[in-house]
Amino acid sequence: MSYLNNPAIVMDNGTGLTKLGFAGNDSPSWVFPTAIATAQPSTTKKSSSGLGATQSQTGGSAYFGNSTSATSFNNLTSSALLSNNLAGKRGTEDLDFYIGNEALIASQSSSYSLSYPIRHGQVENWDHMERFWENSIFKYLRTEPEDHYFLLTEPPLNPPENREQVAEIFFESFNCAGLYIAVQAVLALAASWTSSKVTDRSLTGTVIDSGDGVTHVIPVAEGYVIGSAIKNIPIAGRDITLFIQSLLRERGEADTSLRTAERIKQEYCYVCSDIVKEFNKFDRDPQKFAQFIVENSEKTKKKVVDVGYERFLAPEIFFNPEIASSDFLTPLPTVVDHTIQACPIDVRKGLYNNVVLSGGSTMFKDFGRRLQRDLKSIVNNRIAQSELLSGTKSTGVDVQVISHRRQRNAVWFGGSLLAQTAEFKSYCHTKKDYDEYGPEIVRNFSLFNMI
Amino acid sequence: MSQSLRPYLTAVRHSLQAALNLSNFSSQVVERHNRPEVEVPNASAELLLQPMHISRNEHEQVLIEPSVNSVRVSIKVKQADEIEQILVHKFTRFLEQRAESFYVLRRVAIPGFSISFLITNMHTETMNTEKLVDFIIEFMEEVDKEISEMKLFLNARARFVAEAYLGEFVY
Amino acid sequence: MLYLQPQNLLVQKTLTEALEANARGTPLILDRIISDFDYTTLHISNSPEEKALLWISIKTKAWLSISKCGPDLVGYLNTKYDDLAGVSTCQPEGGYDYTLQVDLKALQNDAVVQLSLLKVMTMSYPFQLAFNEFASLAQLPEGSNTTETVHKIEYRDDENVFIKPSNDRITVIFETFFQDETDKVFGKVFLQEFVDSRKRNRAIQSAPQVLFSHEPPLEISKLVSSRVSEKSRRFITFVLFPRHFQTPELQFSSICHLALFRNYFHYHIKCSKAYMHSRMRYRVDTFIKVLNRAKLDENEDGSEETTRRTVTGRKMVY
Repeated sequence: MSYLNNPAIVMDNGTGLTKLGFAGNDSPSWVFPTAIATAQPSTTKKSSSGLGATQSQTGGSAYFGNSTSATSFNNLTSSALLSNNLAGKRGTEDLDFYIGNEALIASQSSSYSLSYPIRHGQVENWDHMERFWENSIFKYLRTEPEDHYFLLTEPPLNPPENREQVAEIFFESFNCAGLYIAVQAVLALAASWTSSKVTDRSLTGTVIDSGDGVTHVIPVAEGYVIGSAIKNIPIAGRDITLFIQSLLRERGEADTSLRTAERIKQEYCYVCSDIVKEFNKFDRDPQKFAQFIVENSEKTKKKVVDVGYERFLAPEIFFNPEIASSDFLTPLPTVVDHTIQACPIDVRKGLYNNVVLSGGSTMFKDFGRRLQRDLKSIVNNRIAQSELLSGTKSTGVDVQVISHRRQRNAVWFGGSLLAQTAEFKSYCHTKKDYDEYGPEIVRNFSLFNMI
Repeated sequence: MSQSLRPYLTAVRHSLQAALNLSNFSSQVVERHNRPEVEVPNASAELLLQPMHISRNEHEQVLIEPSVNSVRVSIKVKQADEIEQILVHKFTRFLEQRAESFYVLRRVAIPGFSISFLITNMHTETMNTEKLVDFIIEFMEEVDKEISEMKLFLNARARFVAEAYLGEFVY
Repeated sequence: MLYLQPQNLLVQKTLTEALEANARGTPLILDRIISDFDYTTLHISNSPEEKALLWISIKTKAWLSISKCGPDLVGYLNTKYDDLAGVSTCQPEGGYDYTLQVDLKALQNDAVVQLSLLKVMTMSYPFQLAFNEFASLAQLPEGSNTTETVHKIEYRDDENVFIKPSNDRITVIFETFFQDETDKVFGKVFLQEFVDSRKRNRAIQSAPQVLFSHEPPLEISKLVSSRVSEKSRRFITFVLFPRHFQTPELQFSSICHLALFRNYFHYHIKCSKAYMHSRMRYRVDTFIKVLNRAKLDENEDGSEETTRRTVTGRKMVY
């Protein structure tokens, strides 16, 4: 069959952002919010003019998100062209929706309502998700699903029923040629193979996946997630942003919007090795203070926001949560250590040896280095104590934290890496398999061999 | 509602009410087992009762197979043409896929029927039998309605899509 | 989304981003694969020497059959793109059928849309040939103005498009084939509506006439007779009248729609299946609600429940 040459499609639908693209590329083709704006049944007709206006306004550079109107569909339904009123009345509302950035724009008018079909990594609203996929495939990726293999991701501990629902949608609605569902943490491990520090391409390691909403610490042994040991930390990107915002507010800066805080987080923040020293450094050297210039949309007025201690203080809440939160107080390195200690004893070395970072909130400079140092000191203390108690010499545990260039979209990139291999298609379940065995075949996927 | 549907449903309702008279009954063959007797190959004649076959026409039938501790109800949904056939197939498969939350739904239909239910004494003990019968009857009504609505939808959508496409050629 | 757009959104986005990045002085390093319908792959990459030069290559299954339709497909595409500022043609990249070189320094924003239409442009070649042949046939006197030419585009494994010009019309025939049982039935309903809707709706009377058959139409019977005519094979014929291709703009818009016909049609089959899934989910919920009504109150049997135990404290099992 000639879909041998067609690139596989890799889709990573996260709680906040969806990454879509083709296997073999080094970055996702589309990254947009996992949001869908659906037409409110009563006011559909009125919306056409309002939306058209917002869209023409955002043309040009707004291509980044979604460009050009999805449909000239509202105009059409109401136009006299279709004298057949049956078509206007029933059953076409399901075509009238937007996804991604276009959804955010569309939801500003009252005729669309915005919703996020994924909550906590798992699909909550299948109706919306199905349409989200439909639009992703046909509009943004422009592919005929019958000709392509798909690699989808799922969070750890996703119930198998959800997988079956996914299979039902992809095979029955879309007739996709083949499907592979991979656990996000495993893909993040695969993505770390691009780092020069990784010598053996194993699928054993601890994945620290920090997105916008929550941070997971997930141990993976030989491609299987050790579900019982997974730990969640309620500190992630959004908390850092909020923390920066609160600091800005305390100081009474000129602009304390969430957007500004987010920009500061992305552009200025880094992880320091010692807060006290860093405070001193700042006090001695005023050069360290930065200024962030906020331009408003018309570029007429400029506001200047000073950026101070939050440069290193904000990411510090991973390591000293007490400075921002009052209910969660365990530092990240301790959580990682607890996680690994909760795993079977024979895999612990491998887990310490390969701590992999993934997700946007691990992108701070020196984040990996600090984590490695703190984790190492915890481990070394424990070894010293056990040597003292037992009187024997330990062979030592090597702690290594891996950070790499593809960290931000690590999950997607790992998927892209695996899906471009020649063997990928043999691991997929095909439409034929599905028709023969039914949805339950997706409960099991064979693991990728190490390449 | 057409003339013959009411008596058909009434017949099903009464037969079901009669059949749903179940008691807890341990297996005679295997110790400490308790299984729905309609589902197992059964040698002892006293456990299985006479099956009841209610038929409205050749497309719409109900088969009720009672036993001492379980009843199997199989429904054949009306399938007038190719489209309805595929829709019924899709719909029943969709339901069977979610049999977990339906308690009484059987994951696989009896050959020759569209969908089957298996009601055991466990179900009649935790559920109101009268309401359970109501459910089956409502199910039968709704399925027919749903299938015809979906068929209408398909035609309407096809028409809309075709007109929209051809409308693009009107200059 | 009702219509599929002829241009490739992703090409458009990638080029716009590249343009902006180049204007800022930080050219993007690109090496992207982009896909389009019907086994079409596009590749956007930097030229090895110069970062501001991009190569856009296309590879499509239909290429071979399209290039057989006429004398000079590459020349045709060159004339379409050579006029655009900053776009020049070059040797096809290895593994691809056709390559354009884009100079980001000279590229205009309007040209981006044209570039994203590369696939449609390729598909338009045989149509364009047919339009030209129609024009010359219409000039000829009655009796000698017929031709045997039929252009064939093999755009998918088992599906082809045939384009036959004649002196008063152009016939476009799609040969389609359904792999899936459900699609076959749904497709039949959809195709029937394509045929009927023109008759029923006065507003679209001027649209092309649509015919539908299981047997190959006479125009192309010679071309497909060699193959076994399977049962699931369908032929959809669009009859274009001169009013559909009077001006170059009309020609192009007709081509866009026809080139996307199969995709449009399959897209809507999929949409209706998705919609039915939503309906069925809703149904399942209502059924479960009805069933839950039958459940007895928890407290009621909770108070009466007495689990029988053996002497050792084990649960009794009947």
